[in-house]
Amino acid sequence: MSLWKRLLIRYGSFFVTLLLLSGLFFFLGHIVLKGGNTLSPALLFGEVAPMDALLFKERVFEGLFPAICGTLCLVLLSVTLALPAGVLTGIWLSHFARGRAKRTLTLCVDTLAGVPSIVVGLFGFSFAILLHTLTKGRIGPCLLIAALTLAVLVMPGIIRTTEVALSTIDRGTRLRVSAMGATPVQAIFHVYLPMAASGIFRGGVLALGRCAEDTAAIMLTGVVVTAGVPYALFGRFEALPFAIFTIASEYTGPEELARGYGAALILLILCGGLFGLSACIACRFRSIKR
Amino acid sequence: MKITFDTLTFRYGTHTLLKDISMEVPQGALTALTGPSGEGKSSLLSVINHLWQPEDGVRITGSAVAQFKGGAVDLLSPHLNLPLLRQKVAMVFQNPTPLPFSIFKNVSLPLTFAGIRDQKKIHQRVERALTRAGLWDEVNHRLKHPAATLSGGQQQRLAMARALVTNPEILLLDEPTSSLDAESRNGIEAQLLELKKSCTLLLVSHSEDQVDRLADRIYRLDQGHLERQG
Amino acid sequence: MGEGAATMAAGITFGVTLAIFGFMGWLALPLLEGETLSTLFTSVWNPQGGHFGIRPMIWGTLAVALPATLIAFPVSVGFACVATHLAPSWARRPLKGIAGFMTGIPTVVYGFSAVFTLVPLIRRMAGQGSGFSILGAAMVLALLISPTMILILINAFETTPQIWLREFEAMGATPEETVWYLIFPVTTPAMVSAFLLGLGRATGDTLIALMLAGNAVLTPTSPLEPARTLTAHIALVMAADFESPEFRSIFACGILLYLIIFGLTLMVRYLTRRPCP
Repeated sequence: MSLWKRLLIRYGSFFVTLLLLSGLFFFLGHIVLKGGNTLSPALLFGEVAPMDALLFKERVFEGLFPAICGTLCLVLLSVTLALPAGVLTGIWLSHFARGRAKRTLTLCVDTLAGVPSIVVGLFGFSFAILLHTLTKGRIGPCLLIAALTLAVLVMPGIIRTTEVALSTIDRGTRLRVSAMGATPVQAIFHVYLPMAASGIFRGGVLALGRCAEDTAAIMLTGVVVTAGVPYALFGRFEALPFAIFTIASEYTGPEELARGYGAALILLILCGGLFGLSACIACRFRSIKR
Repeated sequence: MKITFDTLTFRYGTHTLLKDISMEVPQGALTALTGPSGEGKSSLLSVINHLWQPEDGVRITGSAVAQFKGGAVDLLSPHLNLPLLRQKVAMVFQNPTPLPFSIFKNVSLPLTFAGIRDQKKIHQRVERALTRAGLWDEVNHRLKHPAATLSGGQQQRLAMARALVTNPEILLLDEPTSSLDAESRNGIEAQLLELKKSCTLLLVSHSEDQVDRLADRIYRLDQGHLERQG
Repeated sequence: MGEGAATMAAGITFGVTLAIFGFMGWLALPLLEGETLSTLFTSVWNPQGGHFGIRPMIWGTLAVALPATLIAFPVSVGFACVATHLAPSWARRPLKGIAGFMTGIPTVVYGFSAVFTLVPLIRRMAGQGSGFSILGAAMVLALLISPTMILILINAFETTPQIWLREFEAMGATPEETVWYLIFPVTTPAMVSAFLLGLGRATGDTLIALMLAGNAVLTPTSPLEPARTLTAHIALVMAADFESPEFRSIFACGILLYLIIFGLTLMVRYLTRRPCP
């Protein structure tokens, strides 16, 4: 290989790596610098006393508190809905599926993983329309529908992590467990699932992050600018990413803009924290295995 | 508690691992199976607890019958109740690989599989199994610790305790001491001599010395053919 | 019982995948009647006048997603090479960690940051327009889809058999030669699937285009002009009246996006299926 080509490969690669990292630090640094100053109780609660807001005594209008509550409810609800279905599908794929059925379902999971979140949101919205027609207008886009939509969005990830975690259990262990007199179902629920628990847990944490950041899907399924703290499954709600989005396009003054930076920083910390947690789980899991 | 093979042939794909095997494993004794390394011996064990699958390409002809307390069982029947069979025919593998759970859970799992829920009974059975495997005094104060913290010899005795916890009538041992040091090996051999009073043992070992020390009856498997040696 | 529950869950997953398509088809069905259909693939979007052409949006999607992927792909390949072979070994783990961390960064945060940094910058440099343009959207989108591609590439680069790597080392190959003559040839299918999956993510992303591309219904001709993508179009046309043909037409966009993703998925599967022994 000529020297020129070698140098091109080496320094070209280092250059694009630096380019990517500087792009990352440029955008995130901007948020951290601008958002760092805004972090204060007033950012969350506006003019309401923090204790009153936390105890739901007084409604917060000028702060991010309702949006954070909305995002937390949404995230927990969707992952609660997605986990059982996702984990069970993962189990089915790794232990019971054979031949054509397995190929069909993996194709479904791959497709589902790629479907844009706005299209999933459109699905959630059509589902809401269906319910709206069926219940004669009592149920429309709402927290539950949004959570269901996000559950569909994160299910493929959970299915895959479950399947991968289960498939790393080696043949020797499987033979030993059968030799102990376990039926296939007993083996899965008493041995394989506990063994794969940290991998599945990690998938769940990543799903939490995905739900917290997604905006497009909830835009069509019931998120609004002001709704207060979520009060019912069938009510409208606020969410942090949507608040950031609306502030970016419709802010009216420097105060609101500062709130946008604060919200972006909070969301970044939330997602970064969830990612760090999942990395910790992966790290501990690896050290145990050694 | 007696096992009888008659003209048994074991094919794996296009390989014939066992050819026209006829043998008898008597009750309450230690029968040893020896011979050069290869897959034949382990395959013979897998016939007894049915740890083979037709889907893997295994074909078996001939007959294999085990005489249990409750009656005779055709080991080649496709309609066997496998979990029940494996409660009666327990197995200890060559490498001790404890599952990533506590010591207690490692031993009590087979009872869970057998559908035993009574916690008091489970505790009694686990204690008895660990005692029979000669491990109780070493672990009784740390049953909740992860099994991976045990030493190699202890892990193999843990595997024995796990095999014994369902009170099996037959215990299959696939080179249980080959990965252990001399001291741990002596400990396990002492437990085996103790166990054969209550259980039918079938030991696969490539160590002639060990076989001479322990066995009441010796079979030698070579190139798929079996002959009795003592 | 356990098996029954698992089978049921698998059935739900299967059902949902079909239902997404089915629901959109059901709601788009009225388009087949009437005159809406004939205007659907024209380039005029004028709901008041009965024109529902989505062709500008198709071009807009292409104009944003394709350049983004074309920028992101070489960057990702370079980054993956550095993180697996070229960087000193102490730096590899942190680099992989950063790539992983980047997958978790919320899209809306990138969008928000870019609205107040990149957009004014483009406005000043171009000296015309608002700064909301294809260029800005494609650049941020490239940053957004890179980590996905990087992780696939790193995974592929690292599964290259150790024996081959050692053989190359024994032959006296430099890291650059190993990358060029060994890693690239054996991971070509993985590299193509990384490209396709990146393209899929770029096509499907809504927020970046919605926040940065300007959303004007125009067939784009220059990178400094605004454009509206299919995804942004869906987000923008949220008429309250769900009987209107305008509203129906966004389901056609949804179906189109779904089919694009399905096609890309099929291609990736074809590329990554195990070679016959």
